[in-house]
Amino acid sequence: MRRAAKNTLRFLRRFWRGLREWCGDAAYESYLRSQGTQSGSGRTLTPAEFYVEQLNRRYSRPSRCC
Amino acid sequence: MKRVFFIVVWLGVALLGAGAFGKIAFDRGEPLNATWFVVAAVCCYLVAYRLYSAFVAARVLALDDTRATPSERHDDGRDFVPTNKWVLFGHHFAAIAGPGPLVGPTLAAQFGYLPGTLWLIAGAAFAGCVQDFVILFCSIRRDGKSLGQMAREEVSERGGFIAQLAVLAIMTILLAVVGLVVVNALKSSPWATFTLAMTIPIALLLGLYLRFVRPGRVLEASVMGVALVLFVVVAGQWVADSQSWSRVFTLRGVALAFAIIVYGFAASALPVWLLLAPRDYLSAFIKAGAIFTLAAGILFVRPQVLMPPLTRFIDGTGPVFAGKIFPFCFITIACGAISGFHSLISSGTTPKMILRESHARFIGYGAMLLESFVGVMAMVAACAMPPGIYFAINSPPSIVGGAGAAAATTISGWGYPLRAQTMSDLAHRVGELTLWNRAGGAPSLAVGMAQIFSSTIGGERLLSIWYHFAIMFEALFILTVLDAGTRVGRFMVQDLGGRVWKPLGRTGGMPGILLSSAIIVALWGYFLYQGVVDPLGGINSLWPLFGISNQLLAAVALVVATTILMKMGRLRWIWVTLLPMAWLVVITMTASYQKIFDANPRIGFLAYANALAAQIASGKIPAEQIAETQRLIFNQRLDAAVTGVLAAMILVLIVEALAQWYSILSRRKEPELHESPYVATRWAADFSGAAHGDD
Repeated sequence: MRRAAKNTLRFLRRFWRGLREWCGDAAYESYLRSQGTQSGSGRTLTPAEFYVEQLNRRYSRPSRCC
Repeated sequence: MKRVFFIVVWLGVALLGAGAFGKIAFDRGEPLNATWFVVAAVCCYLVAYRLYSAFVAARVLALDDTRATPSERHDDGRDFVPTNKWVLFGHHFAAIAGPGPLVGPTLAAQFGYLPGTLWLIAGAAFAGCVQDFVILFCSIRRDGKSLGQMAREEVSERGGFIAQLAVLAIMTILLAVVGLVVVNALKSSPWATFTLAMTIPIALLLGLYLRFVRPGRVLEASVMGVALVLFVVVAGQWVADSQSWSRVFTLRGVALAFAIIVYGFAASALPVWLLLAPRDYLSAFIKAGAIFTLAAGILFVRPQVLMPPLTRFIDGTGPVFAGKIFPFCFITIACGAISGFHSLISSGTTPKMILRESHARFIGYGAMLLESFVGVMAMVAACAMPPGIYFAINSPPSIVGGAGAAAATTISGWGYPLRAQTMSDLAHRVGELTLWNRAGGAPSLAVGMAQIFSSTIGGERLLSIWYHFAIMFEALFILTVLDAGTRVGRFMVQDLGGRVWKPLGRTGGMPGILLSSAIIVALWGYFLYQGVVDPLGGINSLWPLFGISNQLLAAVALVVATTILMKMGRLRWIWVTLLPMAWLVVITMTASYQKIFDANPRIGFLAYANALAAQIASGKIPAEQIAETQRLIFNQRLDAAVTGVLAAMILVLIVEALAQWYSILSRRKEPELHESPYVATRWAADFSGAAHGDD
């Protein structure tokens, strides 16, 4: 019983994390963890800067299909 | 022992699928239950994924998990982001699943349920999924390069240019045709028009929230947005019931077309965070929810399929669009079986986020199988309504003789009994003024979906709410394709135009943005307007044009894939991409020829133009309609020219590719493969991408 509850909790945690990654909610966290940011080669963007920059890049190439 | 068990299980799945297919194909008695469609499709997908995609992965592509993917080598947290394969599957599916697999099968249902269903399943397994998978693999091996770049490097410079032009052409036709679907869905419907119009201020509100209040908090903003959208779906009923407000939101086709054109321009020219992105978030959640609900609804309700397996319209006299089953069934289904546009996604964002090469099979092949399943569900929803109603909704007035009793008599005369009162009652039950002559697929699909949804939740009482939810869902994500596509088209115009006039190419400058937005909007806006005023309904000419351009792009992608396989030394297996490519070339060329030269004015553009010209010459057209008729003649000739150019492009590319293939096969030239050099992965075998997050 306890094991089942633990497994369910783990599944829900993973699902939540997956949902956040899928919709872009966790994009800034991924950016902070990326090798490019970790290496400190450039200035780290603020959440607002990153959000706008990411959108500009995403919507300048085909991102939605017919 | 394990092997025997494996063989027995898969043999069982294959036999079950074959049995379900047999039932669908040969049953001629009572109406068929939709469960047979689900069983046939799912069994075929399982077998195709387990066996055929495994064969392509192991033998044809030889996927190598020891090789570092672009997301590992260039991990920058922006473009190159190592992503869990399930999350990336969701990303990829959300990107490839547009209105095509919903609208195409709904329109193709005029041939009956059988041809469309067969092509949706077989076409996806042997062509569409293979294209998506192989192009994804090729792009992964080339640091996420686009289809155009790969065509330029692997086929020829001219090949790359043709691919770029093909993308712009498909984009223009696509945006016009999806705009036309929205116009036909909203025409004379204050409820639907109000609901969709309200999504614009909701998106603006979310845009401001995400930009200034909680930057990047997409999930919480989307939850608020979805709640507001659901509220306006219900509020639309109050607007429709109010005499003064319903007048404001009751618009004719031309007015709606201009509203959509203005919207497209605004979405392209305004900052992306203000309108386009928040609408996309809303659309993604509602799309996922509606598709899941439709699948669950079909499994729960298990509706009877009332459309016959084959209708009399396989002879090419169909009222929805004219043309015989070959090639027009394949051209019409398009995206649900194979879509050239997917190759742009497979060589766009996805290859830059993939963790391992082996994930390409699950994401590339698997996501397309799911899209095909969406197409099968749309086919079921369209065929679950009485055929008479289906034809009444989807036929233009010029074919059925207007609306009401005359049209009901025409449709009943085809062998699909219908009473005018049935249509009035149905329109009343779904909260519409009329459902006659609403070609485009969206209203008939919405009726089918609403009937399935209301049988699951709410019954007859909620039928009108479900209908308008379905219309809002379709229109919302169609407009998302329209605004995102217009913006990408703007960049393409700037890229191509910047070579001629430098200021146009400056993506940051306002004059360049406004001018290029105006050019791309004028391009698709013209075709949209032409479709709205076309007496044959617009869909009759625009959807085949869209299908041809889409399948042309798929042929381009498969030419590139075949060339790369050849250069990789996989000659023995090139049939995997060569056969679907040859099939696409045959159907594209046949459809192009018929659309240009067929003597039937409902099929051939030139024949229609000549028939109209003859009517003017013989004085049959009243003086006040001559200018309008001349515009129609010009439009038909323009459509013929566009079709001709599309066909010529693929022929040039094939000649280019044949020259390349000849030099490889005759060993006159050492094949030069432009893959990125091998770099061994540093990630552990169990690294799933979640570890990159907060595991």
